[in-house]
Amino acid sequence: MNFAKIQRILAPFLLGLLLLVSSCATQAPSRYQQAQNASTGRNATPAVVKESTQGSQFNKYFPKSGGGYQVVPAQEKKGFAEYKLKKDGKDVAVLSVSDTLNTPTAKQKFQSSGKTIAGYPAANIGSNGTAVLVADRYQVKVQSRDPSFSQSDREAWLQKFNLRGIAALK
Amino acid sequence: MSKPIFELVNELPTGGLTVMSLRSLDFIIPGEWQNLVGFDNTIRTVTGETDESIIQQIGDRAVTLYNDKSQGYQTALWLYQTVTSGSKLLGTAALANKIGEKVSLLGFLDKITPKAEKAQTIDLAVKLVVELVAFCQINGIPGDSIGDFLGALGDYSGESLMRMAALVCFDGLIPLGPDFIQKVLSGFNTMSPQELQQNQSFNSVKDLIPGGNTEGQKNFILQSFDSVSGWMSGFVNSHNLTPQNVAQNLSSFIDVADDKLDYLAAFLDVSTNYYEHTGIQTLARRLVERASAEI
Repeated sequence: MNFAKIQRILAPFLLGLLLLVSSCATQAPSRYQQAQNASTGRNATPAVVKESTQGSQFNKYFPKSGGGYQVVPAQEKKGFAEYKLKKDGKDVAVLSVSDTLNTPTAKQKFQSSGKTIAGYPAANIGSNGTAVLVADRYQVKVQSRDPSFSQSDREAWLQKFNLRGIAALK
Repeated sequence: MSKPIFELVNELPTGGLTVMSLRSLDFIIPGEWQNLVGFDNTIRTVTGETDESIIQQIGDRAVTLYNDKSQGYQTALWLYQTVTSGSKLLGTAALANKIGEKVSLLGFLDKITPKAEKAQTIDLAVKLVVELVAFCQINGIPGDSIGDFLGALGDYSGESLMRMAALVCFDGLIPLGPDFIQKVLSGFNTMSPQELQQNQSFNSVKDLIPGGNTEGQKNFILQSFDSVSGWMSGFVNSHNLTPQNVAQNLSSFIDVADDKLDYLAAFLDVSTNYYEHTGIQTLARRLVERASAEI
């Protein structure tokens, strides 16, 4: 067997091996691939619908700084506003208002919870979040970012929002 | 199509020159930057949630938010990526210029290559403006809100604060020296719009810099830099930063000579992409925070 012949045999063999190895190395699809597909391409669902309330409209209904806590603006987008709650320079919680026109499934948890805060349907989310649904549309949420900030702290801070003001935005 | 956000975050490196150079700045802001990588890991770390169905919901919403171009997150990423690749080209030019100064035969390169110092002053100022514009895109405030940015800067933490620390050290102190702020301010004061137009960093992102025309953009860059100069000098002074102590902390992985700091700066410029790296981390964090609030 001369060298050229070996080369002829070896090349396709190596190519085949390469293909085999690379196909085995292909990762399993991500658990977020479905959301990726649904939000890209021609028929993509927008993340924010144009009917949703401007985030700037929520600002004045947020609690104010006081009692050793600082309320610091974080994000403001259409349908969403968020503030950080700080104590002694440390983030202890996140306060937010969002329009559920953009996340209709977020309303489901309030139907099944049977809980109310300040007369509004309320629910816990995961281990760190508590929220109320105002005017069957706006989700007002407090999430702990430090173990010292308990569920009762979250409930107390939810009541510091001007929930009636938010309800009137609809 | 651009990469999904979960891939970008999953592919962030845990080692390499970018990560090592950022870790070298830990002496300035100890423990502030943890190099958070991995999409699921980011969700868990930011929210503290462990329930897989909650993590799935947050991730799905974050992916959807990122993919909606009207939300500004993709623009912010583009800015972080583009200013990084712009600076890589600048790095090559700066190195060529260095050779030009040493070897007379290549001296003609001076005619087509910007002076290293001028290129560096533009690079630093453009990067700072990119931070401002990206901040506005991510946080949903008008792109020329210098005041809002200044207010938020005092509250910067984690990877955002690390990015600013790296900007001050790697793009300010090391290449330009302790008076880097003055150099940028006086450089921009005497710069013609044409000079700015010839700069690669500026050109790559100019469409997103407020100001209308080049003259207006130059003024916006100068105004932004001037407004943030107080914060930067405060940062340098309060941490007693010098080109030498920053370089010393880099010397664990880069052979540094005190009289070759301009080479060190050029080397960092071509070999790291700290803006893109920490930019993706900031973006992921903001997306997760919003998604977690909205689900």
